Amino acid sequence: MYTTKKAWVELALYAGEIMLKNGAETYRVEDTIIRICKMHDIHSVESFVTPTGIFVSVNDIPDSPSISFIKRIKNRTINLNKVSKVNDFSRKISNINLSFEEGMRELRIIDFIPAYGKLFEGLGAGIASAFFGVLLGANILDVLISFFISIVIYLVLEFIDSLDTNLFIQNTIGGAIAAFLAIVAITLNIGIDIDKIIISSIMILLPGVAITNAVRDSISGDLISGLARTAEAIIIAVSIAIGVGLVMHIWIQFLGGAL
Amino acid sequence: MIFIKEFFMAAMAVVGFGLLFNIPKKAFPLAALAGGLGWISYVYFLQVLDSVIGATFMGTCVLAIISEIFARTFKETVTVFTIPAIIPLVPGSGMYYSMLAIIDSDYALFASVGSQTLFIAASISAALLIVSSTTRIVMNIKMKVGTN
Repeated sequence: MYTTKKAWVELALYAGEIMLKNGAETYRVEDTIIRICKMHDIHSVESFVTPTGIFVSVNDIPDSPSISFIKRIKNRTINLNKVSKVNDFSRKISNINLSFEEGMRELRIIDFIPAYGKLFEGLGAGIASAFFGVLLGANILDVLISFFISIVIYLVLEFIDSLDTNLFIQNTIGGAIAAFLAIVAITLNIGIDIDKIIISSIMILLPGVAITNAVRDSISGDLISGLARTAEAIIIAVSIAIGVGLVMHIWIQFLGGAL
Repeated sequence: MIFIKEFFMAAMAVVGFGLLFNIPKKAFPLAALAGGLGWISYVYFLQVLDSVIGATFMGTCVLAIISEIFARTFKETVTVFTIPAIIPLVPGSGMYYSMLAIIDSDYALFASVGSQTLFIAASISAALLIVSSTTRIVMNIKMKVGTN
Protein backbone atom coordinates (compact mmCIF):
# COMPACT_ATOMS: atom_id res chain seq x y z
CA MET A 1 0.00 0.00 0.00
CA TYR A 2 2.75 2.34 1.01
CA THR A 3 4.77 1.78 -2.14
CA THR A 4 1.86 2.17 -4.53
CA LYS A 5 0.90 5.46 -2.96
CA LYS A 6 4.47 6.65 -3.16
CA ALA A 7 4.55 5.66 -6.82
CA TRP A 8 1.44 7.72 -7.57
CA VAL A 9 2.93 10.74 -5.83
CA GLU A 10 6.01 10.32 -8.01
CA LEU A 11 3.78 10.25 -11.08
CA ALA A 12 1.99 13.40 -9.95
CA LEU A 13 5.34 15.05 -9.33
CA TYR A 14 6.56 14.11 -12.78
CA ALA A 15 3.42 15.56 -14.35
CA GLY A 16 3.94 18.75 -12.36
CA GLU A 17 7.58 18.92 -13.37
CA ILE A 18 6.74 18.72 -17.08
CA MET A 19 4.13 21.45 -16.70
CA LEU A 20 6.36 23.82 -14.74
CA LYS A 21 9.36 23.26 -17.03
CA ASN A 22 7.24 24.26 -20.00
CA GLY A 23 5.68 27.42 -18.70
CA ALA A 24 2.45 26.51 -16.91
CA GLU A 25 1.08 28.81 -14.21
CA THR A 26 1.84 28.06 -10.58
CA TYR A 27 -1.71 27.32 -9.49
CA ARG A 28 -2.24 24.94 -12.40
CA VAL A 29 0.79 22.87 -11.42
CA GLU A 30 -0.32 22.73 -7.78
CA ASP A 31 -3.86 21.78 -8.78
CA THR A 32 -2.69 19.04 -11.15
CA ILE A 33 -0.46 17.43 -8.52
CA ILE A 34 -3.18 17.48 -5.88
CA ARG A 35 -5.81 16.25 -8.34
CA ILE A 36 -3.74 13.25 -9.44
CA CYS A 37 -2.96 12.36 -5.81
CA LYS A 38 -6.55 12.66 -4.62
CA MET A 39 -7.69 10.47 -7.48
CA HIS A 40 -5.61 7.68 -6.02
CA ASP A 41 -6.90 7.95 -2.48
CA ILE A 42 -4.10 10.10 -1.20
CA HIS A 43 -6.04 12.73 0.65
CA SER A 44 -3.73 14.59 2.93
CA VAL A 45 -1.39 15.97 0.34
CA GLU A 46 0.03 19.45 0.09
CA SER A 47 1.92 20.86 -2.83
CA PHE A 48 3.85 24.08 -2.95
CA VAL A 49 5.18 25.28 -6.26
CA THR A 50 7.58 28.07 -7.06
CA PRO A 51 9.12 28.71 -10.49
CA THR A 52 12.34 27.06 -9.35
CA GLY A 53 11.05 24.02 -7.52
CA ILE A 54 8.15 21.76 -6.56
CA PHE A 55 7.55 20.60 -2.99
CA VAL A 56 5.06 17.85 -2.30
CA SER A 57 4.34 16.39 1.11
CA VAL A 58 2.10 13.40 1.77
CA ASN A 59 0.90 12.33 5.17
CA ASP A 60 -1.64 9.69 4.51
CA ILE A 61 -0.60 6.50 6.20
CA PRO A 62 -1.31 6.18 9.91
CA ASP A 63 1.67 5.45 12.15
CA SER A 64 4.24 6.16 9.52
CA PRO A 65 6.28 9.26 8.88
CA SER A 66 5.07 11.60 6.20
CA ILE A 67 6.99 11.58 2.96
CA SER A 68 7.99 14.63 1.02
CA PHE A 69 9.43 15.19 -2.39
CA ILE A 70 11.40 18.11 -3.71
CA LYS A 71 11.97 18.65 -7.37
CA ARG A 72 14.38 21.34 -8.41
CA ILE A 73 13.54 22.99 -11.75
CA LYS A 74 16.62 24.47 -13.37
CA ASN A 75 15.62 25.25 -16.93
CA ARG A 76 12.32 26.68 -17.99
CA THR A 77 11.17 27.21 -21.54
CA ILE A 78 7.76 27.84 -23.02
CA ASN A 79 6.28 24.82 -24.75
CA LEU A 80 2.53 25.12 -24.43
CA ASN A 81 1.93 21.94 -26.38
CA LYS A 82 3.32 19.88 -23.50
CA VAL A 83 1.36 21.85 -20.91
CA SER A 84 -1.81 21.22 -22.84
CA LYS A 85 -0.98 17.51 -23.22
CA VAL A 86 -0.32 17.02 -19.49
CA ASN A 87 -3.53 18.87 -18.74
CA ASP A 88 -5.40 16.46 -21.03
CA PHE A 89 -3.62 13.58 -19.34
CA SER A 90 -4.69 14.65 -15.85
CA ARG A 91 -8.25 15.00 -17.08
CA LYS A 92 -8.13 11.61 -18.79
CA ILE A 93 -6.68 9.81 -15.79
CA SER A 94 -9.88 10.54 -13.85
CA ASN A 95 -12.09 8.96 -16.50
CA ILE A 96 -10.24 5.76 -17.32
CA ASN A 97 -8.31 3.69 -14.86
CA LEU A 98 -4.73 4.00 -15.98
CA SER A 99 -2.12 1.80 -14.32
CA PHE A 100 0.99 3.41 -12.90
CA GLU A 101 3.25 2.03 -15.64
CA GLU A 102 0.91 3.19 -18.39
CA GLY A 103 0.66 6.61 -16.82
CA MET A 104 4.43 6.95 -16.54
CA ARG A 105 4.85 5.83 -20.13
CA GLU A 106 2.36 8.44 -21.35
CA LEU A 107 4.05 11.18 -19.37
CA ARG A 108 7.44 10.18 -20.72
CA ILE A 109 6.06 10.32 -24.27
CA ILE A 110 4.75 13.83 -23.56
CA ASP A 111 8.06 14.87 -22.00
CA PHE A 112 9.96 13.90 -25.13
CA ILE A 113 7.57 15.26 -27.75
CA PRO A 114 9.81 17.04 -30.22
CA ALA A 115 9.33 20.79 -30.50
CA TYR A 116 8.51 22.32 -33.87
CA GLY A 117 12.22 22.38 -34.57
CA LYS A 118 14.75 25.07 -35.34
CA LEU A 119 13.45 25.71 -38.84
CA PHE A 120 9.86 26.42 -37.86
CA GLU A 121 10.69 28.17 -34.62
CA GLY A 122 13.22 30.38 -36.37
CA LEU A 123 10.66 31.13 -39.05
CA GLY A 124 8.13 31.84 -36.29
CA ALA A 125 10.56 34.30 -34.69
CA GLY A 126 11.02 36.02 -38.04
CA ILE A 127 7.30 36.19 -38.81
CA ALA A 128 6.49 37.44 -35.33
CA SER A 129 9.04 40.26 -35.50
CA ALA A 130 8.16 41.17 -39.07
CA PHE A 131 4.45 41.54 -38.42
CA PHE A 132 5.08 43.32 -35.16
CA GLY A 133 7.11 45.77 -37.21
CA VAL A 134 4.14 46.19 -39.55
CA LEU A 135 1.91 46.91 -36.57
CA LEU A 136 4.39 49.59 -35.49
CA GLY A 137 4.07 51.14 -38.93
CA ALA A 138 7.54 50.30 -40.24
CA ASN A 139 8.09 50.32 -43.99
CA ILE A 140 8.65 47.16 -46.00
CA LEU A 141 12.47 47.24 -45.95
CA ASP A 142 12.61 47.67 -42.19
CA VAL A 143 10.16 44.82 -41.83
CA LEU A 144 12.33 42.54 -43.97
CA ILE A 145 15.42 43.52 -41.99
CA SER A 146 13.82 42.75 -38.65
CA PHE A 147 12.60 39.43 -40.11
CA PHE A 148 16.20 38.42 -40.76
CA ILE A 149 17.61 39.93 -37.56
CA SER A 150 15.25 38.00 -35.33
CA ILE A 151 16.01 34.74 -37.15
CA VAL A 152 19.70 35.40 -36.50
CA ILE A 153 18.97 36.22 -32.85
CA TYR A 154 16.94 33.05 -32.48
CA LEU A 155 19.64 30.83 -33.98
CA VAL A 156 22.46 32.42 -31.97
CA LEU A 157 20.45 32.14 -28.74
CA GLU A 158 19.68 28.49 -29.43
CA PHE A 159 23.42 27.90 -29.79
CA ILE A 160 24.30 29.88 -26.64
CA ASP A 161 21.57 28.07 -24.73
CA SER A 162 23.22 24.74 -25.54
CA LEU A 163 26.40 26.03 -23.86
CA ASP A 164 24.56 26.13 -20.52
CA THR A 165 24.52 29.89 -20.04
CA ASN A 166 22.14 31.95 -17.95
CA LEU A 167 19.29 34.29 -18.80
CA PHE A 168 21.39 37.42 -18.36
CA ILE A 169 24.09 36.47 -20.86
CA GLN A 170 21.57 35.18 -23.39
CA ASN A 171 19.44 38.30 -23.42
CA THR A 172 22.38 40.69 -23.35
CA ILE A 173 23.81 38.98 -26.42
CA GLY A 174 20.36 38.95 -28.05
CA GLY A 175 19.92 42.68 -27.49
CA ALA A 176 23.46 43.42 -28.69
CA ILE A 177 22.93 41.45 -31.91
CA ALA A 178 19.67 43.29 -32.57
CA ALA A 179 21.28 46.71 -32.11
CA PHE A 180 24.45 45.80 -34.04
CA LEU A 181 22.65 44.39 -37.09
CA ALA A 182 20.19 47.28 -37.09
CA ILE A 183 23.08 49.75 -37.09
CA VAL A 184 24.75 47.82 -39.91
CA ALA A 185 21.50 47.98 -41.91
CA ILE A 186 21.20 51.73 -41.32
CA THR A 187 24.83 52.37 -42.23
CA LEU A 188 24.43 50.43 -45.46
CA ASN A 189 21.38 52.59 -46.19
CA ILE A 190 19.07 49.61 -46.40
CA GLY A 191 17.06 50.37 -43.30
CA ILE A 192 15.38 53.66 -42.52
CA ASP A 193 14.00 53.73 -38.99
CA ILE A 194 16.47 52.19 -36.53
CA ASP A 195 14.04 52.41 -33.60
CA LYS A 196 11.40 50.34 -35.33
CA ILE A 197 13.90 47.75 -36.53
CA ILE A 198 15.32 47.27 -33.03
CA ILE A 199 11.93 47.26 -31.29
CA SER A 200 10.49 44.62 -33.57
CA SER A 201 13.67 42.51 -33.45
CA ILE A 202 13.89 42.42 -29.64
CA MET A 203 10.19 41.56 -29.47
CA ILE A 204 11.02 37.85 -29.39
CA LEU A 205 13.22 38.37 -26.32
CA LEU A 206 10.89 40.59 -24.31
CA PRO A 207 9.60 39.26 -21.01
CA GLY A 208 5.96 39.90 -21.86
CA VAL A 209 4.91 36.47 -20.69
CA ALA A 210 7.09 36.68 -17.60
CA ILE A 211 5.65 40.06 -16.56
CA THR A 212 2.09 38.94 -17.17
CA ASN A 213 2.55 35.73 -15.21
CA ALA A 214 4.32 37.63 -12.44
CA VAL A 215 1.47 40.05 -11.90
CA ARG A 216 -1.09 37.27 -12.22
CA ASP A 217 0.67 35.05 -9.66
CA SER A 218 1.03 37.96 -7.25
CA ILE A 219 -2.61 38.99 -7.50
CA SER A 220 -3.94 35.46 -7.15
CA GLY A 221 -1.98 34.89 -3.94
CA ASP A 222 1.07 32.94 -5.09
CA LEU A 223 3.27 35.66 -3.70
CA ILE A 224 6.61 33.86 -3.79
CA SER A 225 6.11 32.78 -7.38
CA GLY A 226 4.99 36.28 -8.19
CA LEU A 227 8.18 37.77 -6.76
CA ALA A 228 10.37 35.16 -8.44
CA ARG A 229 8.79 35.78 -11.81
CA THR A 230 9.02 39.55 -11.33
CA ALA A 231 12.73 39.16 -10.67
CA GLU A 232 13.04 37.04 -13.80
CA ALA A 233 11.18 39.62 -15.89
CA ILE A 234 13.32 42.46 -14.54
CA ILE A 235 16.54 40.55 -15.21
CA ILE A 236 15.45 39.82 -18.78
CA ALA A 237 14.38 43.40 -19.42
CA VAL A 238 17.54 44.87 -17.90
CA SER A 239 19.82 42.52 -19.78
CA ILE A 240 18.18 43.27 -23.14
CA ALA A 241 18.54 46.97 -22.34
CA ILE A 242 22.21 46.48 -21.46
CA GLY A 243 22.87 44.65 -24.71
CA VAL A 244 21.07 47.17 -26.90
CA GLY A 245 22.26 50.13 -24.84
CA LEU A 246 25.92 49.14 -24.93
CA VAL A 247 26.02 48.82 -28.69
CA MET A 248 24.00 52.00 -29.26
CA HIS A 249 26.21 53.91 -26.84
CA ILE A 250 29.40 52.83 -28.60
CA TRP A 251 27.84 53.74 -31.93
CA ILE A 252 26.70 57.18 -30.80
CA GLN A 253 29.77 58.12 -28.77
CA PHE A 254 32.62 56.71 -30.80
CA LEU A 255 31.38 56.13 -34.31
CA GLY A 256 29.36 59.26 -34.70
CA GLY A 257 25.96 57.71 -35.06
CA ALA A 258 22.86 59.82 -34.59
CA LEU A 259 19.42 58.80 -33.46
CA MET B 1 -10.97 48.20 -44.14
CA ILE B 2 -8.10 49.33 -41.94
CA PHE B 3 -9.40 46.91 -39.31
CA ILE B 4 -9.13 43.94 -41.68
CA LYS B 5 -5.51 44.82 -42.43
CA GLU B 6 -4.66 45.33 -38.75
CA PHE B 7 -6.44 42.08 -37.88
CA PHE B 8 -4.39 40.15 -40.41
CA MET B 9 -1.07 41.65 -39.26
CA ALA B 10 -1.73 40.96 -35.60
CA ALA B 11 -2.94 37.44 -36.37
CA MET B 12 0.28 36.70 -38.26
CA ALA B 13 2.40 38.01 -35.37
CA VAL B 14 0.44 35.71 -33.06
CA VAL B 15 1.07 32.75 -35.37
CA GLY B 16 4.80 33.52 -35.27
CA PHE B 17 4.82 33.54 -31.50
CA GLY B 18 2.66 30.42 -31.50
CA LEU B 19 5.48 28.64 -33.33
CA LEU B 20 8.06 30.00 -30.87
CA PHE B 21 5.95 28.92 -27.88
CA ASN B 22 5.09 25.54 -29.43
CA ILE B 23 1.33 25.80 -29.09
CA PRO B 24 -0.64 22.72 -30.26
CA LYS B 25 -1.29 22.65 -34.00
CA LYS B 26 -5.06 22.92 -33.75
CA ALA B 27 -4.72 26.03 -31.57
CA PHE B 28 -3.06 28.18 -34.26
CA PRO B 29 -6.18 29.50 -36.03
CA LEU B 30 -7.97 30.01 -32.72
CA ALA B 31 -5.09 31.88 -31.06
CA ALA B 32 -4.65 33.98 -34.20
CA LEU B 33 -8.36 34.82 -34.18
CA ALA B 34 -8.26 35.79 -30.49
CA GLY B 35 -5.09 37.83 -30.92
CA GLY B 36 -6.35 39.58 -34.05
CA LEU B 37 -9.68 40.50 -32.47
CA GLY B 38 -7.89 41.65 -29.32
CA TRP B 39 -5.63 43.89 -31.39
CA ILE B 40 -8.42 45.51 -33.44
CA SER B 41 -10.37 46.18 -30.25
CA TYR B 42 -7.20 47.86 -28.95
CA VAL B 43 -7.01 49.98 -32.11
CA TYR B 44 -10.71 50.83 -31.83
CA PHE B 45 -10.60 51.73 -28.14
CA LEU B 46 -7.43 53.75 -28.67
CA GLN B 47 -9.51 56.09 -30.84
CA VAL B 48 -12.49 56.07 -28.50
CA LEU B 49 -10.75 56.32 -25.12
CA ASP B 50 -7.60 58.12 -26.25
CA SER B 51 -5.59 56.24 -23.63
CA VAL B 52 -3.05 53.52 -24.36
CA ILE B 53 -3.52 51.91 -20.96
CA GLY B 54 -7.31 51.85 -21.20
CA ALA B 55 -7.21 50.55 -24.77
CA THR B 56 -4.75 47.81 -23.82
CA PHE B 57 -7.04 46.81 -20.98
CA MET B 58 -10.09 46.61 -23.25
CA GLY B 59 -8.17 44.75 -25.97
CA THR B 60 -6.90 42.20 -23.48
CA CYS B 61 -10.40 41.76 -22.04
CA VAL B 62 -11.74 40.97 -25.51
CA LEU B 63 -9.04 38.44 -26.32
CA ALA B 64 -9.24 36.87 -22.86
CA ILE B 65 -13.01 36.37 -23.12
CA ILE B 66 -12.63 34.81 -26.57
CA SER B 67 -9.82 32.59 -25.25
CA GLU B 68 -11.91 31.43 -22.28
CA ILE B 69 -14.74 30.49 -24.66
CA PHE B 70 -12.30 28.60 -26.91
CA ALA B 71 -10.73 26.87 -23.90
CA ARG B 72 -14.14 25.64 -22.72
CA THR B 73 -15.30 24.65 -26.20
CA PHE B 74 -12.16 22.85 -27.33
CA LYS B 75 -11.07 21.53 -23.92
CA GLU B 76 -7.67 23.23 -23.98
CA THR B 77 -5.77 25.12 -21.34
CA VAL B 78 -6.58 28.79 -21.68
CA THR B 79 -2.90 29.88 -21.70
CA VAL B 80 -2.44 28.14 -25.06
CA PHE B 81 -4.52 30.97 -26.52
CA THR B 82 -3.82 33.91 -24.23
CA ILE B 83 0.01 33.79 -24.12
CA PRO B 84 0.55 34.17 -27.89
CA ALA B 85 -2.54 36.38 -28.28
CA ILE B 86 -1.42 39.12 -25.86
CA ILE B 87 1.95 39.53 -27.61
CA PRO B 88 0.88 42.33 -30.01
CA LEU B 89 -0.22 44.33 -26.95
CA VAL B 90 3.01 43.83 -24.97
CA PRO B 91 4.72 47.22 -24.58
CA GLY B 92 7.95 46.48 -26.47
CA SER B 93 8.46 50.01 -27.72
CA GLY B 94 7.90 51.43 -24.23
CA MET B 95 10.72 49.29 -22.93
CA TYR B 96 13.02 50.33 -25.76
CA TYR B 97 12.33 54.04 -25.33
CA SER B 98 12.84 53.89 -21.58
CA MET B 99 16.23 52.31 -22.26
CA LEU B 100 17.10 55.05 -24.76
CA ALA B 101 16.15 57.62 -22.12
CA ILE B 102 18.69 56.06 -19.74
CA ILE B 103 21.41 56.24 -22.39
CA ASP B 104 20.57 59.92 -22.86
CA SER B 105 20.64 60.39 -19.05
CA ASP B 106 17.12 61.79 -19.38
CA TYR B 107 15.70 60.44 -16.15
CA ALA B 108 12.49 62.44 -16.30
CA LEU B 109 11.65 60.86 -19.65
CA PHE B 110 12.68 57.47 -18.26
CA ALA B 111 10.29 57.90 -15.34
CA SER B 112 7.34 58.82 -17.55
CA VAL B 113 7.91 56.27 -20.32
CA GLY B 114 8.98 53.57 -17.85
CA SER B 115 5.96 53.99 -15.62
CA GLN B 116 3.63 53.97 -18.61
CA THR B 117 5.24 50.72 -19.78
CA LEU B 118 4.73 49.23 -16.35
CA PHE B 119 1.09 50.30 -16.26
CA ILE B 120 0.46 48.79 -19.70
CA ALA B 121 1.94 45.50 -18.52
CA ALA B 122 -0.17 45.69 -15.37
CA SER B 123 -3.33 46.42 -17.35
CA ILE B 124 -2.73 43.33 -19.50
CA SER B 125 -2.38 41.14 -16.41
CA ALA B 126 -5.32 42.78 -14.65
CA ALA B 127 -7.57 42.21 -17.65
CA LEU B 128 -6.53 38.56 -17.92
CA LEU B 129 -7.09 38.07 -14.22
CA ILE B 130 -10.48 39.79 -14.12
CA VAL B 131 -11.75 37.73 -17.04
CA SER B 132 -10.48 34.41 -15.66
CA SER B 133 -11.84 35.13 -12.15
CA THR B 134 -15.21 36.14 -13.56
CA THR B 135 -15.32 32.96 -15.64
CA ARG B 136 -14.58 30.89 -12.56
CA ILE B 137 -17.33 32.67 -10.59
CA VAL B 138 -19.82 32.17 -13.42
CA MET B 139 -18.91 28.48 -13.72
CA ASN B 140 -19.28 28.00 -9.96
CA ILE B 141 -22.69 29.67 -9.96
CA LYS B 142 -23.73 27.49 -12.89
CA MET B 143 -22.60 24.37 -11.03
CA LYS B 144 -24.45 25.40 -7.87
CA VAL B 145 -27.62 26.15 -9.83
CA GLY B 146 -27.22 22.82 -11.64
CA THR B 147 -26.92 20.74 -8.47
CA ASN B 148 -29.85 22.35 -6.67
